[in-house]
Parts: sequence; C-alpha cells; structure tokens
Amino acid sequence: MDLVIENIPFLLKGAYYTLLITVVSMFFGLIIGLLAAIARIKGNRFLRNIARVYVSIIRGTPPLVQLVIVYYGLVDYGIELGPLTAAYIALSINIGAYVSEAFRGAIQSVPKGQTEAALATGMTEKQALRRIIIPQAIRYAIPPLGNTFVGMLKETSLVSVIAVTELMRSAQLLVAQYYVYMPFYLSIGIMYWVMSTIFTFILNKIEKRLSVY
Amino acid sequence: MIEIEQLYKNYGSHEVLKNLTLSIPAHQVVAVIGPSGSGKSTFLRCINGLEKITAGKITVNGHEIDAKAPKKVLQKAVYAIRQETGMVFQQFNLYPHKTVVANVMEALLVVKKMQKDQAHQIASNLLKRVGLSEKEDSYPSQLSGGQQQRVAIARALAMEPQLMLFDEPTSALDPELVGEVLKVMKSLAEEGMTMMIVTHEMNFAENVADRVLFMADGVIVEDAEPKAFFEHPQTARAQQFLQQVNEF
Repeated sequence: MDLVIENIPFLLKGAYYTLLITVVSMFFGLIIGLLAAIARIKGNRFLRNIARVYVSIIRGTPPLVQLVIVYYGLVDYGIELGPLTAAYIALSINIGAYVSEAFRGAIQSVPKGQTEAALATGMTEKQALRRIIIPQAIRYAIPPLGNTFVGMLKETSLVSVIAVTELMRSAQLLVAQYYVYMPFYLSIGIMYWVMSTIFTFILNKIEKRLSVY
Repeated sequence: MIEIEQLYKNYGSHEVLKNLTLSIPAHQVVAVIGPSGSGKSTFLRCINGLEKITAGKITVNGHEIDAKAPKKVLQKAVYAIRQETGMVFQQFNLYPHKTVVANVMEALLVVKKMQKDQAHQIASNLLKRVGLSEKEDSYPSQLSGGQQQRVAIARALAMEPQLMLFDEPTSALDPELVGEVLKVMKSLAEEGMTMMIVTHEMNFAENVADRVLFMADGVIVEDAEPKAFFEHPQTARAQQFLQQVNEF
C-alpha cells in the first residue's frame, strides 16, 4: 500500500492522460458521429453508403486492431504519427461510429408526427430537422451517448500497447519496477471506477436538465 | 378554393383513392366521414402534400399539385399550399420541447422570419381566442388533451391560413374534452373559414358542416347536404354505415 501512495503522482499523471484521450476522442467522435448520422438519414445514396460502410467496418473490427493499423500500419506508407496523435485519431474514428448509431436511433425515435406538424406549417425539411427534430433527438441520445462515453474511458486502456503512458501503462510500468501486481492494478481499477462514476453522474445531470418538459 | 381532378393514389397493389373529382368553394365547411380504411385521412393529407399523389391534380388557391409535374415544381406548389393551409392532427403533434406560446410562434419565426415580439403578440392573441391565455408558458405535457388540441389549432391559425384541414381532431380525446375543441372549430366555421374535417362526430357534422362527403373504399359514395345525408342516405353503403354508428 505504501508503494501505491508513494507513486500516486505517477498514477495521477496516467489518469490525466486517460481523461485527456477520452475527452479529445469524444469531442471529435461527436462531430464525426453527428455528420455520419445525418448522412445516413438524410444523405443521398452515395453519402448513405459511405456512412454505412464506415459504421459497419468500425463496429465489426476490434478497437485494438484499429489502433495498431493507425499507429504501426500507416508507417508502411510513410505516415508516422506520435503515439498520442495516433490514439486520438483511432479512437475518434472508432467512437464516431458508435455515436452515429446513437444519434441515428435518437433521430428516428422522434415521432413522425413531429416532422409532419412542422412541414404542415410550411417549414422545409431542413428547418424541421434543425428546429424540431434534432433538439428532441439530443435528449433521446444522451443515455446511449453516456454509455459510449464511459465505454470510451475504459477503452483508452488499449492505447497502452502503443506506449502512451495513460493509466493502464502507468500501472504496468510500476509493476515492472516493483514486481508486485495487485496494489497497482487494484488502484487503477478504483481510479477507472471513480472516473466512470463521475461521468455517469454528470451525464445524469445533463439529462435531467434537458428534460424540463 | 380547392379543385380536385381524378385524384388517384395507391400503395403497391392497394388502391387508397380512386379517381376523386370534386371542387370545394371558399368558406365551405366540409365533413368527411366514412368507415376506417376508406381513405379519408389520406385524402386530406394529399391536399397539403403530406402524402404524394400517384395521379391526378389538386389545385388549392391557384397552386397546382400535378402528379405529372417535375419534382421541383411540385415541391414549390406544396410549400405554397402549406403556407396558406393549417392542419390539425389526431395526435396534436405539439412540439414537446417548446412552451405553448413558442409552439404557436415557431412557424412565424422560422417560415415568415417575423420578429420575436411581433410573433409573440400574434401567438398571445390566438391563445386568448382558444381560451388558453393562462397556459402560455406551460409545456404541452402539462396540458389536457383538449387543451393541447386547442393549442394545435392556434398554432395552425398563426400562419393566417385560408384553409384548415382537421384530421380526426377529437378522436384521441376523452369524451368530456371533445366539446371544448368542437366549440373552437364551430367558431372558426362561423367566421367563414374554409374547412375540411375528417371526423367521427356525427352530430358535429350534421350541425356545423355545410356539406358531407361520405367515403368508402377510396371513393366518394355520397356528396350531400348534412340534413339530406343523415335523414335520407341514398346508397346502401351509407345506410349501413349510419345504422352501425347509431346502433347503440
């Protein structure tokens, strides 16, 4: 236990990277996901298919494979990315697919009558989407996005394999140094759990805020 | 006001509307009645372009929806018609994320690009008219069905329509709430609004409408004055329908 306390600053630095990677990837993932969702629902056939193939590939392959393709694979084509950059790119693309599914489901769960009511007053499809449908869809999307977000937090542990010293790798390094496993792995387990709980708490607050009606 | 020529619509092999032809002059109140599945609602929804027509022509206030017209021309006509036509739905379809007054203001802001205070003024007046002034800042979920439907009517009136379409406006209401909605509709009729009302309220059709269209299987079977229709239905189909309605 003393070992853990002694190394807390090191572990906290790992936690900082875990958070950083999560937040940055989620931010870009949200943008990619919203665009992909709109492409799938309202796009022409070409855009629809691109979005569909993207989601299908990402969901059908392990995130670890996606990560090593971006970090190691691209080197073959002369693209050398720093480990942190590679992590951002791979995870943003990964999360975007899940976010797009969350948004798509949310947009589709807004009753059809809402669009019809908006159209009947003379709005265009675009106006109806922007003013009536998306504001309602965002609320429906919060719970699945929350799951995705917490999932992302845990998935960041994968980037330890490309030498980003986030929480997981911090623990591995300490284990290698002191030859004891349990205290370090248990501590990071607790740290992941605390972070997930805080995220969930914040998301619940946001959801409540949005459901005034 | 409305001219309909050879209006035809099908979903695959299912024919919903079979070559309807009729004309409705301004200020007329038309009740569309008939058994479920007869195409009444579809007919109404074709008039403001919520349903695409397969063949034929609909002209509303000079704007022509022609099944053969190019997509762009058609779309333009549909937008023009919708701006001059109000619609009230069975399920109200109020925007749940907006307050009552914001529901009424929405189209004024988005479609007419009106200033906020001006739109608010119009919305307040309309809500007063349907007797809901004190509910301006409530959300739709805090209202009874009858109140929601009255807000929906106010929302439709905000665009100053020349034609109002009612698609079973009281079918989703508890019986004791039907009256307040019908009262608002009756006052609209008395002011000379052109109205098409798909309804199961036979008393309302008989007493408020100027004309009854009885539809069955995608065809207008009878087109008559209410008194004549309810007292002396001409066809066996209408006689049977009225008998079933009055059975209990």
